[in-house]
Amino acid sequence: MAETKTDAMISTQPGYDRMASWPYFIWVVLLCMFFITILIWTVSMFFNAPLEEAAEWAKTPNPAKAPWYFIGLQELLVYFDPWIAGVIIPNQILIGLILIPYVDTAPEVQGCYNYSRRKFQFVFFSFGIFLWFFLIITGQLLRGPSWEIYWPIIDYPLGGHEWTYPNQILKASQAKLHNLSLPVGITISVIGFIVGMTLPAIMFKKYFKELGIIKYSLVMTHVLLTLGVVGKILLRLVFGIKYVIVTPWFNI
Amino acid sequence: MATNLNKNNEVSFVPPFLKKIFEYIKSTPVWKSIFRVGYPDTMPKRMAVMRSSFYMHIFPTKVGVHGMKIKYGWCMGGITFFLFLLLTVTGILLMFYYVPEEHRAYNDMKDLRYVVPFGVILRNMHRWGAHGMVFTVILHMIRVFYTGSYKPPRQFNWTVGVLLLLITLLLSFTGYLLPWDQLGFWAVTVGTNMASATPLLGYEGPFSKYLGIQIDNDIRFALIGGTRIGPNALVRAYVWHCVGLPLIATALMIFHFWRIRKDGFSGPM
Repeated sequence: MAETKTDAMISTQPGYDRMASWPYFIWVVLLCMFFITILIWTVSMFFNAPLEEAAEWAKTPNPAKAPWYFIGLQELLVYFDPWIAGVIIPNQILIGLILIPYVDTAPEVQGCYNYSRRKFQFVFFSFGIFLWFFLIITGQLLRGPSWEIYWPIIDYPLGGHEWTYPNQILKASQAKLHNLSLPVGITISVIGFIVGMTLPAIMFKKYFKELGIIKYSLVMTHVLLTLGVVGKILLRLVFGIKYVIVTPWFNI
Repeated sequence: MATNLNKNNEVSFVPPFLKKIFEYIKSTPVWKSIFRVGYPDTMPKRMAVMRSSFYMHIFPTKVGVHGMKIKYGWCMGGITFFLFLLLTVTGILLMFYYVPEEHRAYNDMKDLRYVVPFGVILRNMHRWGAHGMVFTVILHMIRVFYTGSYKPPRQFNWTVGVLLLLITLLLSFTGYLLPWDQLGFWAVTVGTNMASATPLLGYEGPFSKYLGIQIDNDIRFALIGGTRIGPNALVRAYVWHCVGLPLIATALMIFHFWRIRKDGFSGPM
């Protein structure tokens, strides 16, 4: 196996099997362009782009939804305050994505699908993508008036139906929520963070040594933040806990 | 040229008189000044035809065989770029008919649907192409991750790619407001309200009150030019959508493609 080639022009390295771009590659590109143009054109002939009534400040639709690619963040508003769901989490995702090549540099698994040799990377990335699209699908298809859960497609009257068992209201917006007290919340968070950072280092010593302390910390911080998001969602859904940490300035 | 066999001894169905006309056209100075290499039937000519044309030169003269397989690359990066070009063309045409003014914008959308010839298909292509571009750029990122193509020496190009993903989302988001209908208006209201919760910089965010941040001087105000989505927000979305963000995207794409061009398709090392 070659050493990491940090210099440019890999394409001129020996052992990189090449063929002339003309005509085959150019044909692939041209056919691809034709195909996409025809596809977009055909779709455009059969489906009109949505255009609702003229914008009116006084008429707030219920629900008002963000575009589909941002609706995952809007869905997170159920579980987090806006400064986390709308600012911290998207920035964490961006920083996490940018960090990927700098914390996962093993050159031997490059340029091919290689699940078996990088299971952790595959599982963590796939989980992130799954979570992103899971939130999008929930927000886009399953949320109706007052951001309650509804079956998709069905056109509910504004205000929605009450889904009730005897004496138990199932509407999320009416669920009884409570907060953890500050010492308990901080203790749980700190213990979770310490255990989360140290336990994998002890369990996977080889991996820890390969990465080194800095890369390991960066990776595990992002793993724990991602798991933290999932954990907070579960706390809210299962135990009705709204905030883990409550302070006069901000709530988490 | 009397026989109908070409030089590989294959039967040619082009009539001889047409061939003579082609031969004549190809021998004219005008043709030779445009297509300077001639028919690329040998390896040096195939390389020269790529090298000597500015637009072809975006492609390498030779490509890695490994990366040519559809199941390897999915063509998603290329499709994303092509959709960008498609959106530029349809977007420029839409700009002829659309004025980002509070009382006109929505009527212009109606005109595009019912009055402008082919206006409805123009707008539809722009809309579906934009959704397609967001989708393909995400698929492109997923493919690059799964094949480990961000590994050295391509780390920084991945970073530029992440920024391009962000720009793509912002391009789509700013375009969402332009029809000035209820859908876009409230989606952008929801989206920009999040900015008001930015710590330190948004008027509803933690700690911002210690910096004197209020509703009329916070980051959301800078984004939408007011305390609520109004005519200023429409102009800002329009300028970012049609000028600012495409310029940034182009600058980043030049870098992105140059690095791919220099590093080649990723392959097993």
